[in-house]
Amino acid sequence: MNLSLVDPFVLAQDCPEVITGRLRSGHSTSIRFSHRGDLLASGRHDGIVVVFDIETNGVARKLRGHTRQIQSLSWSTNDRFLLSAGQDWKCVLWDLKDGSRVRTVRFESAIFIAELHPKNHMMFAAALFEDQPVLVDMSDELPKKHTLPTTPRRPPTDKNEKKAAQDAKQTTTVTVFTPSAEHILAGTNKGWLNIIDARTFELLHSYRPTNSLIVLIRMSQSGRDVVLNSSDRIIRTFVLPDLSDPKLDFNELQLTVQHKFQDLVQRLSWNHVTFSSAGDYVAATTYMNHHVYIWERGQGSLVKILEGTKEELSVVEWHPFRPFVAAIGVDSGRVWLWSILQPQRWSALAPDFVEVEENVEYIEKEDEFDIQPAEELHKRRLDQEDEEVDVLTVDPVKTSTQHEPGEFRMPVLLDIEASDSEDEIVAIGAGQFRRRSPGAGREYMNDDEVSVSADEARRTNGTSTTGTKRRRA
Amino acid sequence: MVGDYPKSPKRRRDEDEDVVSPRKRSTSHTPPNGSPSFRLAERPRRYSREPSKDDERYYRDRRRPRSRSCSGTRSPSRSHSGSKSPSHHATPPPPKPTQLHYKQSMILRGHKKGVSSVNFSPDGRWIASSSADCTIKIWDATTGALEHTLEGHLAGVSTIAWSPDSKILASGSDDKSIRLWDVSTGLAHPTPFLGHHNYVYALAFSPKGNMLVSGSYDEAVFLWDVRAARVMRSLPAHSDPVGGVDFVCDGTLITSCSHDGLIRVWDTSTGQCLRTLVHEDNAPVTSVVFSPNGKYVLAWTLDNCIRLWNYIEGKGKCVKTYQGHRNEKFSLAGAFGTYGTEPPYEYAFIASGSEDGEIVLWDVSTKNVLQRLGGGHTDAVLSVDTHPTEKLIVSGGMDRTVRVWRETAAPPESGLEAVESTTVDGNGYDPDILPPNAFANT
Repeated sequence: MNLSLVDPFVLAQDCPEVITGRLRSGHSTSIRFSHRGDLLASGRHDGIVVVFDIETNGVARKLRGHTRQIQSLSWSTNDRFLLSAGQDWKCVLWDLKDGSRVRTVRFESAIFIAELHPKNHMMFAAALFEDQPVLVDMSDELPKKHTLPTTPRRPPTDKNEKKAAQDAKQTTTVTVFTPSAEHILAGTNKGWLNIIDARTFELLHSYRPTNSLIVLIRMSQSGRDVVLNSSDRIIRTFVLPDLSDPKLDFNELQLTVQHKFQDLVQRLSWNHVTFSSAGDYVAATTYMNHHVYIWERGQGSLVKILEGTKEELSVVEWHPFRPFVAAIGVDSGRVWLWSILQPQRWSALAPDFVEVEENVEYIEKEDEFDIQPAEELHKRRLDQEDEEVDVLTVDPVKTSTQHEPGEFRMPVLLDIEASDSEDEIVAIGAGQFRRRSPGAGREYMNDDEVSVSADEARRTNGTSTTGTKRRRA
Repeated sequence: MVGDYPKSPKRRRDEDEDVVSPRKRSTSHTPPNGSPSFRLAERPRRYSREPSKDDERYYRDRRRPRSRSCSGTRSPSRSHSGSKSPSHHATPPPPKPTQLHYKQSMILRGHKKGVSSVNFSPDGRWIASSSADCTIKIWDATTGALEHTLEGHLAGVSTIAWSPDSKILASGSDDKSIRLWDVSTGLAHPTPFLGHHNYVYALAFSPKGNMLVSGSYDEAVFLWDVRAARVMRSLPAHSDPVGGVDFVCDGTLITSCSHDGLIRVWDTSTGQCLRTLVHEDNAPVTSVVFSPNGKYVLAWTLDNCIRLWNYIEGKGKCVKTYQGHRNEKFSLAGAFGTYGTEPPYEYAFIASGSEDGEIVLWDVSTKNVLQRLGGGHTDAVLSVDTHPTEKLIVSGGMDRTVRVWRETAAPPESGLEAVESTTVDGNGYDPDILPPNAFANT
């Protein structure tokens, strides 16, 4: 309802510009906006999933159940259920009504990504490390896992023994549902993009845009645009045909790359990519660099580089309908928020204020200083109030966070931190821990102090990875 | 310039309050005549007034009254609870009623001092009333039984607000704190909202229940994060006590009004002032609410007027002025209600108390008085609310009573007024104003 009052020039902007805030609860490793855009789920390094309220910038819910870092998050369409995949090799489906765990699904290997079915929150697709991707049906207590194909579908002319042997070694690194939920897009470590029928698990089409590993696939809300991040430092966008069209022949399908976004000078590699709300922009975070790059898709040009952080950014997410971008700082684990700064319009502060470009000579009206009897003026004014007013009919609002009746609405929990039963342990030095003192839970308010502990965690994490590298060498 | 507006003499609700030192107030077990906002010492002149026959032009029997109202939650959801008549297109439009027939159905007694605010819960089950006696009482809206008495404030309670899920009640008090109460247990939430430097006057929950806006005598409007009990944002732009605050139905706008005569509309997400409404006379604005659809704001001013403002168009424009009640001294509050049948033959009315003890109902469009609910309250009616779904009105006033009024299908016989109203006695306390009730012990 505020749209009619906000400066139209501000509303016309659709790309965020400046840092407007930051969120913090622990060390964030994965974030995802809810579909209605009022909540941001954040998976933490310690396995806790925190749901932030974007309106208050406060913690709305804490979900405990994972023991390792959260790898990916996915919301159900009604925003009631949240699927989290952790590095403890399990996926948990959370009911945000009461914060309970609806299902826990364990896997035999690490999970790259787990995405909820857009229409059925009891199903999800997951890409697994060195394993076949699965579509999991959790409607029963015992989850049913259906294996999805990985081996790309090659035209008959292109088949031979050697290629078949190569294809057999491929693994799927990323799976996403199309918004219609009829198909799954899967990316493999050899650069193949597979379109899989979500009901029959049949591989309908394969396309190889690159030879290197596909890190991430994202689709726009319309389901027609795909952005692909691969490890060859190029971000590619595609336009898909309407996959649900029954006349579409997948054998004849020819996908072509629409845009290739890359930094030719610095050869930057991209950590994470996302579409803007309408799919007009592509935002990406860069490896070893502090910026978020934003390209527009009309011409394929770089339009903005979001700056302001002093750390590398990992996951970047765009709000479902506002010019609002959130990205995780790798070092601090903070969530940085970029948006548009709205200047206060001084003319709003008093009805007779007018914002003018230059000085205007005031010409007084003929009757401006005439003295009129107050009674008569009052009466005349009352007589003029003859218009019909409708105070009941509500205009349909196109994009807002407004809740329809009967839609799920997350209950407001009072005093989130105090309601936590588990004790939180804060690292204060090497091998030294202390219990968090009561009332110190609001670390997002005094985050500089707590970021020490986050850095600590980061450092230990870093040493462990370098350790493995050395062993491998 | 803002400062160029002619300053009206500041009239506050507690101009001549006998000042009680805070220390004394906190030590005394029975708080002194403590609430500065609602003094019983000085009662306004009462005058009885016959219901005017002018508006009683012709009454036609109305169709089955459909239950719906928009106040309380102020939610935009238009739930179609009534069944639609099958021959909807064939029937001519039902005539617009020119009168309403609310009759007193319950008297809820128990407050030891004036009742400052009454509200139906958004689910319609409860009535909450706050009083200068430092307590809040929760009553069953259908039976009138006293469910809880919420005690904990150290001074009079001026305002209450229900959370949208009807589980939490927020109260603002003259002890400068805001408290949240669990309605099912009747217990206060352990952390009060502290931050205001003076009496808290007005409260409103956001439609999602995650934010609370408060207006205070310290001229500030605070936006609170309900979960963390901290001030998210302070909206600094009033130069006199803030009388009323409200959230629009989708939560994107906040309105506040002040005794400096300004009504401001704020953007919730940025905290910026988007519109300022001011009437030429600059009369102190004591209370403000958004219309159920959020397109207008309704403001009570201490010049015996209630004004409906279109804040969207141009620079904001006063579209209606409702007169016929008396309001020169107290912060009166009211609500929107509906009458008539289903949409599109559903109309809105405005209910407000009056300092002469009546409740006045106006039609929104014609500004005609639909009914005057007299013969009930014996002193100023400070707060009126309408039921979210049923044709019920609740009112609370300086005479320490809470009264529930129900729409009767037939026009009431003349001469009979409120004979069958049941009195519910809250705690056996016998107010001297009204005779004791025979049903009190049942």
